[in-house]
Amino acid sequence: MNRRSLIMLPLIALLLAAITISLPHDARTANAGIPTVLLPIASSPLITFRIQFRAGAADDPEGKKGLTELTADMLTEGGTTKHSYEEITALLYPMASSVNAIVDKDVTTFVGTTHIDNLDRYLDLFLQVLLEPRFDARDFDRLRTNQKSYLENTLRGANDEELGKQSLNTFMYAGHPYGYPDQGLASNLDAITLDDVKAHYAKMFTRANVTIGLAGGYPKDLAGKVSKALEKLPATAPAHAAHPATRPISGIEVLAVEKDTRSTAISIGFPIDVTRADADFYALMVANSHLGEHRTMNGVLMNRMREVRGLNYGDYSYIEHFVQDGGTTFPITNIPRSEQYFSIWIRPVQPQHRQFALRLALFELNRLVTDGMTQAQFEEARSFVKNYSKLWAQDQGRRLGYLMDSRFYGMDDFLGTLPAKLDALTLDQVNAAIKKHLRSDNLKVAVVTKGAEAFLNDVANNTPSPIVYEAEGIPQAVIDEDKVVAVYKINVNKAASKVVNVAEMFK
Amino acid sequence: MNLTVWCQRCLTTPTLRVGMLMGLALLALNAGDAMAKDVFPFPVTNRTLDNGLRVVMVPFDSPGIVAYYTIVRAGSRNEVEPGKSGFAHFFEHMMFRGTDRFSGDAFNALYRHLGSDPNAFTSDDITVYHALVSKDGLEQVVDVESDRFMNLKYSESDFKQESKAVLGEYNKNYSDPENKLYEKSRETAFSTHTYKHTTMGFLQDIEDMPNQYAYSREFFRRYYAPQNCVVLVVGDFDTEKTFALLKKYYSPWKATADLATVPAEPQQTAVRTAHVDWNNATLPYLCVSFKAPAFDTKTKDTAALDLLGSLLFDETSPLYQELVIRDQKVEELSVYAPFRRDPGLFMVFAKVKDASQLDAVRNRIYQTVEEAATTPVDAKRLADVKSNVRYSFAMSLGTARSVAGQLTSVIGLTGDAAALNELYRRYDEVKADDLTRVAGSYLTRARATEVTLTGGAQ
Repeated sequence: MNRRSLIMLPLIALLLAAITISLPHDARTANAGIPTVLLPIASSPLITFRIQFRAGAADDPEGKKGLTELTADMLTEGGTTKHSYEEITALLYPMASSVNAIVDKDVTTFVGTTHIDNLDRYLDLFLQVLLEPRFDARDFDRLRTNQKSYLENTLRGANDEELGKQSLNTFMYAGHPYGYPDQGLASNLDAITLDDVKAHYAKMFTRANVTIGLAGGYPKDLAGKVSKALEKLPATAPAHAAHPATRPISGIEVLAVEKDTRSTAISIGFPIDVTRADADFYALMVANSHLGEHRTMNGVLMNRMREVRGLNYGDYSYIEHFVQDGGTTFPITNIPRSEQYFSIWIRPVQPQHRQFALRLALFELNRLVTDGMTQAQFEEARSFVKNYSKLWAQDQGRRLGYLMDSRFYGMDDFLGTLPAKLDALTLDQVNAAIKKHLRSDNLKVAVVTKGAEAFLNDVANNTPSPIVYEAEGIPQAVIDEDKVVAVYKINVNKAASKVVNVAEMFK
Repeated sequence: MNLTVWCQRCLTTPTLRVGMLMGLALLALNAGDAMAKDVFPFPVTNRTLDNGLRVVMVPFDSPGIVAYYTIVRAGSRNEVEPGKSGFAHFFEHMMFRGTDRFSGDAFNALYRHLGSDPNAFTSDDITVYHALVSKDGLEQVVDVESDRFMNLKYSESDFKQESKAVLGEYNKNYSDPENKLYEKSRETAFSTHTYKHTTMGFLQDIEDMPNQYAYSREFFRRYYAPQNCVVLVVGDFDTEKTFALLKKYYSPWKATADLATVPAEPQQTAVRTAHVDWNNATLPYLCVSFKAPAFDTKTKDTAALDLLGSLLFDETSPLYQELVIRDQKVEELSVYAPFRRDPGLFMVFAKVKDASQLDAVRNRIYQTVEEAATTPVDAKRLADVKSNVRYSFAMSLGTARSVAGQLTSVIGLTGDAAALNELYRRYDEVKADDLTRVAGSYLTRARATEVTLTGGAQ
């Protein structure tokens, strides 16, 4: 253990101490079988609630994609039997608190934080939101319209990067329950009725399906109170349909979304058989940090694409689903998935560089897969992840989120055990995991660009894509490498590729 | 909406009253006298080095962790020459390109070794460089940070390459019609002051950046001087030892600030209008902006106008309930009135469901502010909004980074961390007649700019 690790010990000790206290088996028994994750921090004046249901967008029925998201919104933005939504917001406002829902594929989590001064009033409202939804037709109209507008206007018209990511998701998980935006499909939303929402709520948001998460300076009886209240939920355990296998990918399969836009957003990915529950995940964490740690300058992709060549604003890679948490660069918590995917996010490039940028990203991915990492790269990346991960849970909400995610994956505390797992890694293990799980030949690519047909033809035909710089003094090694990248062969599977107008997306 | 330019890997927000982070600070909020005391609960040590550099140190319970911020009191407000919009932000990128002692790669390697991720952001008034680091890496950070402020060095080739990353940043932001609406609103509202352009800058100026190498050095000379900067340290450290480090590494900094005059905006006398055609799918938008006063904690105007924004336009407001919840003519209604060193904008945004409703929504916005100038708000609502402000603040002090974020805002605006407590005293003092007064003074048609944006069907 190095000196820096010793310095970090107090924080970790605090976390571990809290965890030790936080999982009392007797408490779980007393809580009528509702699993409970507790993170008591006596000195904190704040109390964080995270109530998670094992129900997500992947549980949306056929023809009703978007139902879970709409149901969650009807709870948090639709009022309760006692109070209209207008009244709920007015009551929460003086506390500067709210109840929000995070909907992902496998779970939906209701989150909120309040000051201890307001605990009783907040708890009452929080439980009303979960247990006594109003299900008013006017709120349903408003929220369904908003959700549809998100698909038709925001996603199609206002955010090329998110459009690119959602396009990749749709393409990568075609035929799989993950293969839709959480907001669903526009036509499916038209078909959803208020009765559908009520039925989905009764079926999926049940006592057998819930986990309680609490953190902060809460009174000792809070967990019991919450658990007792949740006993009002139906006892039925909803069945989750088994996921079909994702379709095999043959060659480079391209979805080119035609859109009138200034630049070209590119996302690359493929499903992987690894989650945090697997030993190889930790080896891949190190490899991924080396290739493209989110929004740092450390990654190969960021260095070669942005720093050296000025192609765009940023280039990153991921080994699990990643959503950035607000103004941080860290992932949000409480979006665990039973199936994960590897991806590369190339932020928008100028259209004249789109083919070169795709080639360069695949060239670097291929280099990693073919050559693996060196001992020095391995040690550098491992050291970074080990220290950087200590910044991921600076507040109680995030710490609680990580603990709940650990429970989802059926493992001990992810962050608490991460340093030891990283320490135990060897270069050979990392390179073996790269070889086993990553690849640069059979994968999916989604682009959002103007002139999508021409782009698809260019990449399918391996048309040379030389890059020209305005700047002088570009190092000769870069110019030499550019010549290789400009003709780097990509094996596009044209039959499995397609051009889609943006207006046709998420219909 | 991307209103501040978060750079490379930005971590925090400079906007006060934003953030719902978890708090570990035990604050006295029950009693009505909370505002009589200083709202900021941690001890603040202010020092000034002989060269004029101010340092602010705030010990905070974040075991092993220190937030290290360097606040340059220059932003896009200081881009006074025509054709140079976006330069403060671009220059922020260049600050990561290295010195003779620490090349850009060496700089990154040092932080990587520390398990830290240095970042920066630029807004209208400030440029902020920040990192969250382990306590035992603090001296290395002080060394490398002071070095780049004193000895920044980059080639013209690096400069040109970086300009392309900035263009990429513009491109990623401007697939969003809200950014275009924001840009057009500022361009229309201001004739003279540099708030006319956004921090990102005009596209034509960004495209010309590769040719402005010499200007970049001039920008550095003018603003990157100790008298124009504040170093803020929050977290787990020993105050005197840390001050000794700061003194050791920053004392050799001999530059002298040479601040260019920012042109004053003439009084606006009539409503201004503009329209944006968007070439992709979007709901129609309306932005009504009113000229707002400069940030000031000596009077109640800043605090009163801020509270008024919440009372009139946020989720609990009668107008929001009418337009968004009841009539469902509007999908989103919001107010954005950031504190600024010079008179800025109080902006009301409406995302309307049908373009035929734009006029009606605009009229309701005017009616609302005109009523606010004559009809006092009821006592319960005023008490509620003050309670919201207090608890929002208390809940935003949970981490070293969030505490630093709160202080950064007021230090950027005033140069003095004490302004934070002053601001919250002013909030507490606001009465109903202060709200009618500021509504009548600032939220008038003669000070308004209306911009609409409508899109084409795909």
